[in-house]
Amino acid sequence: MSPSGPFPGERAHPLELPDMHGNLSRLEDLRGRAVLLVFLRHAG
Amino acid sequence: MKVLHYRQRIDALGTVLFVAFDEPDRLQRTLLRGLKLPYPLLVDPERSAYRAWGLGRGSVVRVWGDPRVWLRYAAEIARGERLRRPRTDTLQLGGDFVVDPEGTVVYSRPQRRDDRPPVAALLQALEHAAGESAARGRASKDA
Repeated sequence: MSPSGPFPGERAHPLELPDMHGNLSRLEDLRGRAVLLVFLRHAG
Repeated sequence: MKVLHYRQRIDALGTVLFVAFDEPDRLQRTLLRGLKLPYPLLVDPERSAYRAWGLGRGSVVRVWGDPRVWLRYAAEIARGERLRRPRTDTLQLGGDFVVDPEGTVVYSRPQRRDDRPPVAALLQALEHAAGESAARGRASKDA
């Protein structure tokens, strides 16, 4: 994993975080589907 | 969240995962007010995922010195919106990535200032990720 984040062609980092309801979600659970991963800026 | 306008197309290709660093109650009061989000929104208050994906904080000059930021605020004022003093980290940068069905990053666009790629570019990347995977699946079936 590049220190500056993943580049095209690299394996995605195993993202695992809770959702708004506290349920743990993993990027890996979406294997088999193309995923657009959007990291937001501040909520305002 | 302009991608939400293209939900039908996105759902045909794959899905979206949003990540935010603000606390859930702040997100409910601001970003999600009046909005029913059709995709998961994951919360990362420690910003561990942000760091792992190479998303740091921009400098004050880079973020607030960008004329586009002020143009956007001017547009909000013109729309009659009331601007509030941000009570969050306005320097934290975001980013957009597309991961193919096999778990490989095929598109990577970390922010370096307050800019986002056009939605068309994201949809094109998602289409490419979904299409390449389908083509590989067909090729392995034919082999």
